[in-house]
Amino acid sequence: MEVTLFYIAAAVALATTALVITRTNAAHALIYLIVSLLSIAVIFYLLGAPFAAALEVVIYAGAIMVLFLFVVMMLNLGRGSVEQERGWLHPRMWIGPGLLTLVLFLEMVFMIAGNPLATSGVPVTPKIVGQTLFGPYLLAVELASMLLLAALIGSFHLGRRYMHARREMTE
Amino acid sequence: MNSADFLAMLPHLVLGVAIVLLMLVIAFIRNHALTATLTALSMLASLLAIGPSLEALPRQVTPLYIFDAFGAYFTGLILIAGICTVVFSYRYLQGRRGDPDEYYLLLAIATFGAITMVETTHFAAFLLGLEILSISLYVLIAYPEEGHVPLEAGVKYLVLSGVASTTILFGLALLYNATGSMAFQAAERALTDQPNYEVYVVAGNMLVFGGLAFKLSLVPFHMWTPDVYQGAPAPISGFIATVSKGAVVALVYRYLIGGDGLDNDALVTALSAIAIASMVIGNLLALMQRDFKRILAYSSIAHLGYLMIALLAINALATLDFAVEAGLIYLAAYFAMTLAAFGIVTLLSSSEQDAGDLEYYEGLFWRQPWVAGVLTITLLSLAGIPMTVGFIAKFYLFGAGIEGSMYTLLWALIVGSAIGIFYYLRVIFIMTHRPESTLRNERPVARGAFAVICLLGLTVLAFGVYPTPLIVLVGMAISGMGG
Repeated sequence: MEVTLFYIAAAVALATTALVITRTNAAHALIYLIVSLLSIAVIFYLLGAPFAAALEVVIYAGAIMVLFLFVVMMLNLGRGSVEQERGWLHPRMWIGPGLLTLVLFLEMVFMIAGNPLATSGVPVTPKIVGQTLFGPYLLAVELASMLLLAALIGSFHLGRRYMHARREMTE
Repeated sequence: MNSADFLAMLPHLVLGVAIVLLMLVIAFIRNHALTATLTALSMLASLLAIGPSLEALPRQVTPLYIFDAFGAYFTGLILIAGICTVVFSYRYLQGRRGDPDEYYLLLAIATFGAITMVETTHFAAFLLGLEILSISLYVLIAYPEEGHVPLEAGVKYLVLSGVASTTILFGLALLYNATGSMAFQAAERALTDQPNYEVYVVAGNMLVFGGLAFKLSLVPFHMWTPDVYQGAPAPISGFIATVSKGAVVALVYRYLIGGDGLDNDALVTALSAIAIASMVIGNLLALMQRDFKRILAYSSIAHLGYLMIALLAINALATLDFAVEAGLIYLAAYFAMTLAAFGIVTLLSSSEQDAGDLEYYEGLFWRQPWVAGVLTITLLSLAGIPMTVGFIAKFYLFGAGIEGSMYTLLWALIVGSAIGIFYYLRVIFIMTHRPESTLRNERPVARGAFAVICLLGLTVLAFGVYPTPLIVLVGMAISGMGG
């Protein structure tokens, strides 16, 4: 049973990812990327990792992707941007992602309502994740903090350089 | 974790705390000299902390870290290279636009990532260390605010290095799929009883080594190297050539010794082909360059190709210790030579432009005889002329190759070295040209950077004439290898 569900979710993931890299419009590509991440979340759930699935939805498909979408939209300020945004929000645009998300949604409903045990392996609960992360992998958390510090300082420096350049151009 | 664990990881703790302190200092006081001095001192403190930490070695701290003499050797090399880079960078960033402070912070974090990579036998810590190093490097390459060349180099490195990291991650996922463990050690990775696990292991290893070959800039994954070396600030080019590659070499050693990496014939053949291609193509392409930084880039491709001989020699089990010894000695020599060369590029760079083009070196013997002298020693060492450490290192590689009967690789080494002598000597020849035009208006030689270059030049000569201390040190590192 779960094998069929896995193949459906994997097919959605592959199709949407292919669409991400073939779209010429960044906003459309990002919407497909969100669907792709949602299908990965379904696969996580199928593998018996509901916590990872929830994180995938909340952090990737939720926070990070919406941030991306805002940035892409904001970078296109200026004349004609209203026209452009109207083009992005064209109803025809929503059919593809909508249908694919519907497939994932039906799968999820089937898993939760119909057969709650349609997952393989031992379910990994948030408690187990926490115990592993702050037990044997405590130093990995510290390393990750160092990684984020490097990224933070780096983006700060490069962003400031961009602001300098813009200020000089307007002056 | 107990006190012995903390003692074993003392160099890491010192550097980690120093990074946070450095960040706080920068938040309150922005002063170039102060930041550079503090960065150099924190790396020095971390280097000195290796001494007391040796008592607690070897020691496994959580599944992530293995602290042993082998790791301490690499940590020492990386920290020394880091200190040299700080001194060069101070010279390089003086008189440039923009704040230089974040540069040192990123350099310290990159060094921290590198010393993480050399003391781990676990996929998670390996990938985290690699990413800490890479993400700091993206910004360091693009750090100068003048012009678009550094930014272009930074973006190139970002995209290609990102692809390489993804390849490694995918390979690790396949390996984990086949074995269910993220440790390097084959003993801990019991293969599952599926009949087709072999495919996963081979494919995973291929992907991991493909990604690592990119980080080591081996042919055919070398395309980024000349462009990035040319575009990046000269001290950072030196840092990439030494620290980032040295850390990956340490990791490959641990992976090949602990894991079952070279059990597979297909992989050995592929790696041998990569090594031969690097030695020959790297040297051939260096012949056509008019830019010294690009010459050094191709030369580093060739040198990493030579080093692959020592890595592949592990396959012949009888020479395991000797193979590691050859690699470690070669790496120390490569660190000293490459750092000296990039240090001299830094010294000759003006605050507007890096001393890339070979015309900067025309008549250097007449203008700055000492700098020219050190560069000559360095280039002779890179070519592997006797009386320099480059010769000793190549001699060891040769020994390892012969014991492992890897004659095809040795022929490539001979051909590559022969081509190499030509372009190294060409630079020396250019330096002896008497300049026709009037002298360039040059900056006065910075005393700190000059002293470091002279020390590196002396090291190259001293270990070339009397290599015993280096050999003893490497012997201690190998006998104290744990895990």
